[in-house]
Amino acid sequence: MKLNLKKHRVLTSLLLIIVILLVMIAIGYPLGILSENPDGLERVLIDHNGESWLENLASFWVPFLSWIENNYIAAIVGILLSTAIIFAVFKLVSYRKNSRE
Amino acid sequence: MHIPDGLLDPITTISLWVIIVVILILAYFRLKKSFQDEHSDKIVPYIGVLAAVIFAFQFVNYPIPGGTSGHLVGGTLVAVILGPWASVTVLFLILVVQSFFGDGGITALGANAFNMGIIGGMVGFYIVIGLVRILGKTSMRKEYRVTVATAIGSYIAILLAASVCGVELGLAGAIPMEIAISTMVFWHIFIGIGEAVISGLIIFYIYKVKPDLIITESYLGVKQ
Repeated sequence: MKLNLKKHRVLTSLLLIIVILLVMIAIGYPLGILSENPDGLERVLIDHNGESWLENLASFWVPFLSWIENNYIAAIVGILLSTAIIFAVFKLVSYRKNSRE
Repeated sequence: MHIPDGLLDPITTISLWVIIVVILILAYFRLKKSFQDEHSDKIVPYIGVLAAVIFAFQFVNYPIPGGTSGHLVGGTLVAVILGPWASVTVLFLILVVQSFFGDGGITALGANAFNMGIIGGMVGFYIVIGLVRILGKTSMRKEYRVTVATAIGSYIAILLAASVCGVELGLAGAIPMEIAISTMVFWHIFIGIGEAVISGLIIFYIYKVKPDLIITESYLGVKQ
């Protein structure tokens, strides 16, 4: 079976972008190209209330994937999960539309 | 811009949840309409992979001077490609997955989806429509018009989302309202540049290789 890459150029280039982003995540943080610094919201909260205040915010649940501390592994798991969930939701919308016809 | 659990007050949390649930129900019916086209089933894999790209981009935190970092939100970008209703749905589902990792709270999911999906996606989309119409009066080619409009629109949408997030922080009493809004907007003036550049480049690339993937061309008023 011959895979026609030209026909699926966008799909393959989007997959390529994901691979490049994963490489960036894998090497970008250790090399310091990417930043572990707080984002805009965290910066605002830390500047005003302090880091410990932000860390001690009460939550009624523990996010069940929060044990994954490695950015690279978390990104792979997240990519697979979000792709699967979104694919399933949109496929369901499409299926429901077709079943009505 | 991911609000954690325990930050917002119950009234703000519940109100934003109600709004986002209503919008998601409306989105479901709107999406069914936009899937009337027989070719629409073929775009489902693109939606899944595009979501993966947005998720991966949200892990790439670029440094911002002053000890801060920023990452792509992608609401306007997805809205320009797939429409505002798909955008809010995609952003909501991405935020659900991120909350599993502790990036944004589960109770704050309504607020996060409101800020990034509705303001960042839907409002951003209508800003892009307005900008495309303004740029339509120039001699720019349509791919340049949509690219520039997406870059500017996503930048404005990020600033608006940051302002709304500031209002929510103020209402919650976490920070005085005027400080929350001004500081949130200040940091996102820099963070938004990355959003604008990445969104513009992706739209330009899609226009070059597969323009029919941008299913909102008729809304944008650039369909030929």
